[in-house]
Amino acid sequence: MSGYLITLGTIIAINAIVACGLNVIVGFAGQISLGHAAFFGIGAYTAALLATQAGLSFWAALPCVLGMSAFIGLLLGVPSLRVREDFLAITTIGINFIVEAIFNNFEFFGGALGIGGIPRVGMFGLKLRGTEFLVLCLFFLVVVMVVCWWLTRCWAGLACFALREEETAAASVGISPVRFKLLAFVLGTCMAGLGGALYAHFMRFIAASDFAFPLSVSLLSMVVVGGMGTLWGPILGACIIGVLPEVFRPLVDYRILFYTMLLLLMIRFQPGGLLGENSAARRVLAKMRPGGRS
Amino acid sequence: MNRPLLEITGLSKHFGGLRAVDGVSFDIRRGEILGLLGPNGAGKTVCFNLISGVYKPTAGQISFDGQRTDGLAPHVIAGLGIGRTFQIVKPFAHLTVLENVLAARGIAHYRHLPKIWSSWKTSAERREALSLLERVGLSELADRLAGLLPLGNLRRLEIARALAVARTLLLLDESFSGLRHEEITQIEALIRSIRADGLTVLLIEHNMRVAMGLCDRLIVLDHGRKLAEGRPAEVRASEAVIEAYLGRKGSAHAA
Repeated sequence: MSGYLITLGTIIAINAIVACGLNVIVGFAGQISLGHAAFFGIGAYTAALLATQAGLSFWAALPCVLGMSAFIGLLLGVPSLRVREDFLAITTIGINFIVEAIFNNFEFFGGALGIGGIPRVGMFGLKLRGTEFLVLCLFFLVVVMVVCWWLTRCWAGLACFALREEETAAASVGISPVRFKLLAFVLGTCMAGLGGALYAHFMRFIAASDFAFPLSVSLLSMVVVGGMGTLWGPILGACIIGVLPEVFRPLVDYRILFYTMLLLLMIRFQPGGLLGENSAARRVLAKMRPGGRS
Repeated sequence: MNRPLLEITGLSKHFGGLRAVDGVSFDIRRGEILGLLGPNGAGKTVCFNLISGVYKPTAGQISFDGQRTDGLAPHVIAGLGIGRTFQIVKPFAHLTVLENVLAARGIAHYRHLPKIWSSWKTSAERREALSLLERVGLSELADRLAGLLPLGNLRRLEIARALAVARTLLLLDESFSGLRHEEITQIEALIRSIRADGLTVLLIEHNMRVAMGLCDRLIVLDHGRKLAEGRPAEVRASEAVIEAYLGRKGSAHAA
């Protein structure tokens, strides 16, 4: 495989991990978030600082990265308990800008220069690069998907689904909105943090602008295009949003036009996403598998 | 044992200047079907929301089985075994009918951190949920999306969901409204069988005929205050109730 394809594949795999995390928050628990890039950044900066300042390996730092993401997810998940829908969207946008500004303006986080010299991930005494690193990312993507899959089958996940559908009714059957919203936030931000750590060790140089608001928007687009609340939707969305800029490279001036048209067509014809309920893809799948309901 | 299941004392809920519920006191006795009646805006649903914890009372007390429950969160009150339905139905629209009931059966798991990670897709859970659906007559629609059901079936689904939660007390908020005559008869029979199983039922009802036939006792509210209380025959004969529903005798303005 050419280096170009491996790089593209690695970025898509990392984005898919982060989009899966966003899907837990938005698709499973129904809490809109337009600040997911902030948590991706928090994971990346934690991993980068632990690697360059504390000299920890990727593996030793990983529990700290996840712990930090979970803690900040918990902290910033609290606004979601107070505000809903449009207001939650605005609050999460605010969180994104604040986190980016902190990375950009504090010397501790490298300021505008960012953090460079992040080592490659080592495993069994060799440094992972190219295909090996892609395999590592795919391994973590599988882990994240298994967690998401289990979430669709366990009581915690069902509680999140119920909250997404009807909060008052969910509370009336014993589901604590506080507990399960925070749970979704923590799981989602942990996945974003994991993606961030992989990103930092892949790029080996990070800056605040890597985790700005437009990334949050494209992460949300991945989830929406693929199918909110579905298992495979975020993966498909990450592939589509990852590949499109490459396909449309010759049309660079018209790219935004194509995106806009794509988004409008999605909203008009497949509002549940490509893999959502009643989507064309799902109907075809149902026909191929008689009697099966997904 | 003779203590009432639920004791409500001096319960009030004011929204700014509006006294939606104003100093209401009544008891619910174990094993009875108690009806809450009253014209529109009398404060019946507000009463329900106070009992189930959706609202916190402005004043007054609610004791369930001797334990104060006013001010507790709705999910905590559900955990005590109090299930409720909603006047404006609130199904989990994008879940199946079966999943709606399963989400309520999760009440045994939601409070214990290790248990929330166990699977709900087991045959035992499915069986239990199906038997609840069978009881309300929805087992054939188990795999339909709840959001696609007509109102009559949604009202049954809400009862099934509340039954999964209600170990002792079931609150039904206008479970008959908008239903056809046959459906009303079926749900009346269902409520009687629920009481026969040892549950206590508090229901809000608009339809006087249904309430009179079904309930052991009635409480009539008007403008947030208790107007009358007693057996259906006593309530029907009460001057105050007739006045609230039909207007004052000989007065020019009909209510």
